[in-house]
Amino acid sequence: MVISVTIFFQILVVGLTTGAIYALIALGYTMVYGIIELINFAHGDIFMIGTFICISIFGLFGITNSSAAPTGLTLVGVLVITLLASMVLCAVLGIVIERVAYRPLRNAPRLAPLISAIGVSFILEDVGKLWKGITIVPFPQIFPQRFYYIGPVSFSSVDILVIVVALVLMVALQWMVTRTRTGRAMRAVAQDREAAALMGVNVNRIIAITFFIGAALAGAAALIWGLKYGNTNFTLGFTLGLFAFTAAVLGGIGNLVGAMLGGVLIGVIEALSSLICDTTQPGCPIGLPHGGNAWHEAVIFIILILILVFRPSGLLGQQTPEKV
Amino acid sequence: MAIANTLVPERDTRALLVKWIVGLLVPISVFTFLWSGEAIINQSLLTILGLGGVSDIGILIQITLFIIVFYTTVIALAGYLVAADSGQRGMIALWVDIAVYVLLPLFLVISQNNLIIGIALSAVLLLVYFFIRRRVYKALRITTVPPLQNLNALDAEQQVALKKRAIMGSFWFSVVFAIVWLIVDLIFYFNGQLPTTLLIWVVIRTLLLPVVGYFLGRLAGVIALRRTLVAKGNGNGENTTDGDGKRIKQRQLEKLSATRMREEAKDLVPNDLPQRSSGAMRFYLILLVAFVLFYPVLDQYLFGFGTNGRLAGYGDAGYYVILALGLNIVVGFAGLLDLGYVAFFAIGAYTWGIFGSTQLTNVLNLAAINPHRLSALFWPMVIVAALVAALFGVLLGIPTLRLRGDYLAIVTLGFGEIVPIVFLELDQYTNGTNGIVGVHSPSFFGVNWSVVTPVPYYYLILALIAFSIFVNVRLRDSRLGRAWIAIREDEIAAASSGVNLVTTKLFAFAMGAFFSGIAGAYHTAKLGLVSPDSFSFGDSIIFLAMGVIGGLGSIPGVIVGALLVYTLNVFLPAQLDASATDPTSVFFGINNAIVHFIPSFTFGNVRNLIFGILLVVIMIFRPEGLIPSARRRRELHHTEDEGVEVGALDVVPGAPGFESEVRVE
Repeated sequence: MVISVTIFFQILVVGLTTGAIYALIALGYTMVYGIIELINFAHGDIFMIGTFICISIFGLFGITNSSAAPTGLTLVGVLVITLLASMVLCAVLGIVIERVAYRPLRNAPRLAPLISAIGVSFILEDVGKLWKGITIVPFPQIFPQRFYYIGPVSFSSVDILVIVVALVLMVALQWMVTRTRTGRAMRAVAQDREAAALMGVNVNRIIAITFFIGAALAGAAALIWGLKYGNTNFTLGFTLGLFAFTAAVLGGIGNLVGAMLGGVLIGVIEALSSLICDTTQPGCPIGLPHGGNAWHEAVIFIILILILVFRPSGLLGQQTPEKV
Repeated sequence: MAIANTLVPERDTRALLVKWIVGLLVPISVFTFLWSGEAIINQSLLTILGLGGVSDIGILIQITLFIIVFYTTVIALAGYLVAADSGQRGMIALWVDIAVYVLLPLFLVISQNNLIIGIALSAVLLLVYFFIRRRVYKALRITTVPPLQNLNALDAEQQVALKKRAIMGSFWFSVVFAIVWLIVDLIFYFNGQLPTTLLIWVVIRTLLLPVVGYFLGRLAGVIALRRTLVAKGNGNGENTTDGDGKRIKQRQLEKLSATRMREEAKDLVPNDLPQRSSGAMRFYLILLVAFVLFYPVLDQYLFGFGTNGRLAGYGDAGYYVILALGLNIVVGFAGLLDLGYVAFFAIGAYTWGIFGSTQLTNVLNLAAINPHRLSALFWPMVIVAALVAALFGVLLGIPTLRLRGDYLAIVTLGFGEIVPIVFLELDQYTNGTNGIVGVHSPSFFGVNWSVVTPVPYYYLILALIAFSIFVNVRLRDSRLGRAWIAIREDEIAAASSGVNLVTTKLFAFAMGAFFSGIAGAYHTAKLGLVSPDSFSFGDSIIFLAMGVIGGLGSIPGVIVGALLVYTLNVFLPAQLDASATDPTSVFFGINNAIVHFIPSFTFGNVRNLIFGILLVVIMIFRPEGLIPSARRRRELHHTEDEGVEVGALDVVPGAPGFESEVRVE
C-alpha cells in the first residue's frame, strides 16, 4: 500500500500539534515523578478541569458557542487573560492536591500515594461530571481559523498558535530549570532529597513549586486543546493523561527534554496509526479490523509496554542500577 | 450431688455470671422476640404439628438446623466467655461494648428493614462513636489499661475451677433465658397471640434448656482449656501431665517481643477481653456461617417481601469477593502491583460467554449444540475459563518480570486497557460492542436455574467463595505463599535465599488470574450476557481498592473490603437514588436540597466522588486497611492500644531475652 507523501506530511502536521499538547502535559508528569517518584494520576484530570475553567472564563467575558468571536486586540486580551487565569487556577488546584493528598504520604510505602492519586483522579472526574454533565461539552473556538499551505500540505492558524504557545512555555521551563536558583533547587531535590535539605533547600516549598509549574502547564495545554479541538468531556483527562504519561516514559521519566521529545513522538505515532488499514474492508492485505483509528489507544499502550520492557529508562534517560 | 456442687456459683464468679448473662441475654432476646426468632420457631413447630405454617420440607429442615445451631452456639459461647474472663474489666464497660457493637447494628437493621443499609449506617455511627470516645478520653484524661498485665499459668486446681466456671456460665445462662422466654410466652398466651398447642413446647423447652446448657458448658470448658497456659512442673525439669508442648509455649512467649507477646496473649485464657479472643471468634464464625448458609430461607421471616431481589444483589456481591481474593494473591501476597486486573476478569467472562451461547457455533460454523448439554458444560467450563485466564496471566506476566514497583503497575495498566479493546474490535469472534447475549446458566440435577432465579446462584457463589477461601488459605500457608511474601518484602534478599523469582512471580499472576477467571465465568452466567463496556480501568481500581481498604494480604480483610466496596459503589447509590424518589424518606429532602445548587446531582453520579474521597482518607489515616494482617499492622501502625511496656516482661539488659526487645531498623 502506497502512502502518498502529501498524506504523510499532513499526518505529521496533525501529529506535531497533538504532540505539542501531549508534551506540555507530559512535563507535569515527569517533573512530579522526578521529584517525589509518584505517578500523579490526577494530572490528566487537572488538565480536564482546566478546559472547564477556560469555558467558564469565556462565559464571564460573554463568549459562548453561539456568540460572535471577538477580533483584534480584544481577542488577544481575552486569550492572554484566559491563559493566565487558567494556568494560575490549575496551579492552585495542583498545590491543594499536593498538600491534602500527597504530603501526608511522603514517607509511606509506594502503594499509598499511588492509591491516593487514583482517588484524587476519581474525585476530579466526578467534580467534572457534576459541573458540566456527562455529554461532550463544546468549547468556543474563538481563534480565527485561516489555512496556510506549504505545497499541498495544509495547516491552520490554530496549529501555529498551539506550537508557538507550547514552544514558548517549554523554553521558559527549560530556562527556569537550568538558569535560576529555584530550578537548581528542583534538580537538587530530584537528585537527593535529604542532601538538598541539608544544603538549605526548603524541600516542601520546592515540591509545591514543582506541582505549581506542572499544573500551570496543564492549564495552558487545556486552553490550546480547547481552541484546536473545540470540545471537551469529563473523561478527557484520563485518556490524555495516560498518553502523556506514555510520552514521559518514552522520553525518559524525570527528564524534561525527554518529555518534550516523547510528547511529540507519541503525537506523531498516534497520527500515523490512523494509516493502518481496515481488514474488514476489501483491498487491505495487512492491517487491523476496523482500521488503525479504533486501535490507536492499544497501539500507544503497546508502545508503552515495549519501552518499559526493553528500555525502561526511556530514550534520553540514564540506566540506574538497583542497589541492594 | 457432685453436679449440684458444680452448679452453685461462688462469690467471685457471681459477678462474672451477672456480667455475661445480662450482656448476652439482651441481644439474644432482641433477636428472638423482636426480630422474628420466635416467629421462625413457632411457624416451624406449627408445620410439624400439621397445622399449616411452612409448606416445604426442605425449608423446614433448614430452619430447624439453623435454630439448633444458633442457640447451641450462643449457649456454649456464654460458657466460654464466663470461663475465659479474668474478671479484671468491669461490667459497665462490657455492657457499653455490647450495646455499641451488637445492639446498635441490630436495631438499625431492624428499623431500616434492610441488612446492607443497616450495617452501613451502623458503620458510620461506630466511626462517630470512636471519634467522640477518643476525644472524651483525652479530655477527661482517662487512659485505658492495656489488657493482660500478667500471663497466668494454670495448674491442675485452676483448670478444674475453669471448667466449673464454664459449666456454670452455660447453665445459668440457659436457665435465665428459659425463664425469660417462659414469661414472655405466657404474656403472649394471655394476649391471645400464642396458640394453645404450643404451650407444650413452652414447657418442654423450659425444662430442656438448662440440661442442654449443662452439657454445652462442659464442652465450652474443654474448648477454653485448650487455650490456657499451663504451669511448669515443680521446677525440677520433670514433665507435667500435660506434656512438653505447653511448657515450651510459655517459654517461647516470654522470649518474644512485648508487642508479639501481647498479640499472642490476646488469645489465651483467662483474658481481660475474652470477647475479642480468637476462641470467641470461632463461635462468631459458626454463627456467621450458619446465618449466611441458611439466609435464603431466613430472609422472608427477617425482612418480609423481596427475597429474590435481595438474593440477586448478594449473588452479585459474591463475585467481587472472589476477585478480591485473587487480586490479594498478586498484590497482597506477592506485592506485584496490578492495575489491570480487569483484563483477566474479561478473559474469564468471555470464555464462558463464547462457549455457553450460540457464539461459538456461529463463528466456527458448526451445528448447533443442544442447550441442555451447554448448560451442563458450565461446570467443566468454569475450570477451563479459570485455566485460560491463568494462561493469560502467565503470558501477561512474562514482560513484567524485570520491572519493579511503578513500572510494573503501568505495564499491567496497559494490558488492562488493551484487552477490552481487543475484545471490542475483534468482533468477528466476540460480537464487538453488542456483546454476546443469551448465555446459558448452569444446570444441576432438577434445579430450575436461569437468569431470573437467584437462589441457585446464591448457593453457587457461596460454594465458589468457600472454595476460593480454602485455596487461598492453603496457598498462604504453603512454601509458595511464603515465597510470595519473601518477594514482596525484598526481592533481592529472596533471590539470594533461593527463591526462584521467575516461577514464583508467574505463579502469582497465574493464581490471581485463575480466581478472576472463575469470577468472570460466574458473572457471565448470572447476567446472561457479556459486553466490552463492563470492563474498564475504573473496575480495576475498584478491585484494587477492595483489597487496599480491607487490608492487603489478609484474607478476612479483603473479604470485608470487597463487601464494603460493593456496598458503597454499586448497592448504596442505587438504593439511595431509589429512596430519593420516595417522598417519605429523609434522602428525598437531602437530594432536593443539593439539586438546587448542582443540577446534575444524583447519588449515582457522585459514586466515584465518594469512592475517591474514601480512598484518599483511608490512605492517609489507615493505610494498612480495615482488618490488616498482623504483619502489616506491625509495620504501619505504631500507636493504638500500646501504652507502657508490660512490666512483668522486662528483661535485664545482658540477659539472653533482651535482644528480642530491641527494634532493628
